[in-house]
Amino acid sequence: MKRTLTALLGGVALVAGLALAAAAQDKPTMGIVVKIGGIPWFNAMETGIKEKGEALGVDATMIGPTSADPALQVRAIEDLIAAGVDVIGVVPNDEAALEPVLEKARAAGIKVVAHEGPGLNNVDWDFELASAKGFGETHAELLAQKMGGKGEYAMFVGSLTVPLHNAWADAAIAYLGEKYPDMKLIGERYGVAESVDDSRKTALDLMAANPNLTGFLAFGSQGPIGAGRAIEEQRKIGAVHVLGPFSPGQGRDLVKSGAISGGFMWNPAEAGRVFVTMGKLLLDGTEIADGTEIEGLGVVHPDAAGKDIITDNLIAINADTVDGLADLGL
Amino acid sequence: MTVLYTRLARAFGAEVPGLLGFLALVLVVFGIMAPNFLTAANFGSIAFQLPELGILTLAMLIPIISGGFNLAIIYTANMAGLTLAFVLNLYGGPEAGVLPFVFGSVLAIGVGAASGAVMGLVIAYIGAHPILVSLAMMIFLRGLGEFLTKGGDISGFPPYLAVLGHGSVLGVPVPLILFGVCAVVWHVLLTRTRHGFAARMIGSNIRATTYAGIHTKRTLTLIYTLSGVMCAVAGILMLARFNSVRVGHGEALLLVTVLACFLGGVDPFGGFGRVVPVVIALVVLQVLSSGLNLLGANQHLSTAVWGLFLIAVMVLRWGAGRYRQRKPGKG
Repeated sequence: MKRTLTALLGGVALVAGLALAAAAQDKPTMGIVVKIGGIPWFNAMETGIKEKGEALGVDATMIGPTSADPALQVRAIEDLIAAGVDVIGVVPNDEAALEPVLEKARAAGIKVVAHEGPGLNNVDWDFELASAKGFGETHAELLAQKMGGKGEYAMFVGSLTVPLHNAWADAAIAYLGEKYPDMKLIGERYGVAESVDDSRKTALDLMAANPNLTGFLAFGSQGPIGAGRAIEEQRKIGAVHVLGPFSPGQGRDLVKSGAISGGFMWNPAEAGRVFVTMGKLLLDGTEIADGTEIEGLGVVHPDAAGKDIITDNLIAINADTVDGLADLGL
Repeated sequence: MTVLYTRLARAFGAEVPGLLGFLALVLVVFGIMAPNFLTAANFGSIAFQLPELGILTLAMLIPIISGGFNLAIIYTANMAGLTLAFVLNLYGGPEAGVLPFVFGSVLAIGVGAASGAVMGLVIAYIGAHPILVSLAMMIFLRGLGEFLTKGGDISGFPPYLAVLGHGSVLGVPVPLILFGVCAVVWHVLLTRTRHGFAARMIGSNIRATTYAGIHTKRTLTLIYTLSGVMCAVAGILMLARFNSVRVGHGEALLLVTVLACFLGGVDPFGGFGRVVPVVIALVVLQVLSSGLNLLGANQHLSTAVWGLFLIAVMVLRWGAGRYRQRKPGKG
């Protein structure tokens, strides 16, 4: 008996010590489930979400699972449905795995906004700050310029299961194949660009195996960083070019030393703000049609059938712009 | 109260009253702090999230009771899921009938059993440590799965599978019913059968068990085979829940299953452990996780709370053990 009592007392201390105060519930609520918590990209997104949430009077919170596992995203969304939020936002790890739970959310009358998930069906809208084609081709063109339009290059993606990274890679490869026939892709694409270590190792291996390799195109936030470090270690700055989207704060030194030649990105903080703006529009019942202007996206031309709003809001990251972007906390 | 305590303790194991008390406490605390915690929607959400973790935990339980370990549970489950997905796609994906599903499920359970049996054979006859053997199996299955699927996922299944993943019968979620059946089977197996008894004895002292005339090698093989079968059930459920299969689904759950076993009072060195306290421990973990989510707490924090919870339970158990030693005959 005493043991039960001790257990109870210990438990009180534990839970009371760690639990947080519940927020006031009169404002509309929005929960945004991202791929993974605690990395700079999604920290920046959280800043944007908080900022816009305060501005628009929406109680918006971001949920970042502890690992990039779709099963954890499904669990987080189930909990959001139970919590009765008004809007769910999601940046999917795996589109197919989320369809059943998002269907459940919409059946419960919850609005669903997605980002980086153009293939999702059970959403009200998916918005993109970059079109897959435009993003891939802009990077490809810069890579071709740096490499002088000839030579061998390798392609990294975050994972072979991230449809968007692969769509960029498809667009870039198609563009280079058509406009720069002297540029040759080495191997298939490598699914390493969500990890600095894996990207670094793969880049070192590829350079050792292919002495004529002069370019890396890495789609995935950690890919350019890892490949850039490999170039720096091998003292191949200037000889081998690394391009791709990455977090400016993380890659600042590498860009300045020339290990990363540059890249383009969209602003995750902006994506966070757009999440909240879109959620508010859906709650207010504002219709989004061709020519509607949405703050942060500009004038949009939505694809109503695919429920996609695709825009091109790219910013270049290079030695000149990197400090400004990094100071924004990116 | 004391009578109730001893009755519960005698029927389901000494861990049960303490864990139930803790569960009640967690429910009360979250009920006060989170306004929408004590709602049907929240308990529905908990009931839907518990089963996949629960079935995987059952798969982990029997090897741990036998003094071993099975690190390959997640990938065994997903390989079984891939097998079923492959069969369903062969018969037309979304148009596949019920018969291919039954056939595919049998095949999936076969794959799970085979993967478990291979581990069991190596552990029993070669005498390698279970952690090493299951680690090797985990890496093998993961690599094989990634190779076969090119790291992608297989999706597009017949609509009737949604009933298995998200349906309810008389208000009880179907996955929860499946988990309940599995847990009862495991409970009976461990407490009422010769094999369950042999598994516990092997965990306590394998040499003494051999001298007692039990074919320990055959029993060990069977233990891992059963674990593999349970993985396959989890794999089929995950397929229905996510409407897709990928080798990596649920990777993050591996260590949580170990945590649930230890919280449920399973002896890490083998020999002791029961199903009921483990199920209650699972409910506590899920309630903690959902409650913290409702409060909008950071996900990393809920992992930290789970860890702290395990440490607290260990300290309490140590304290209870000392208390019992000083006053013999009381619990």
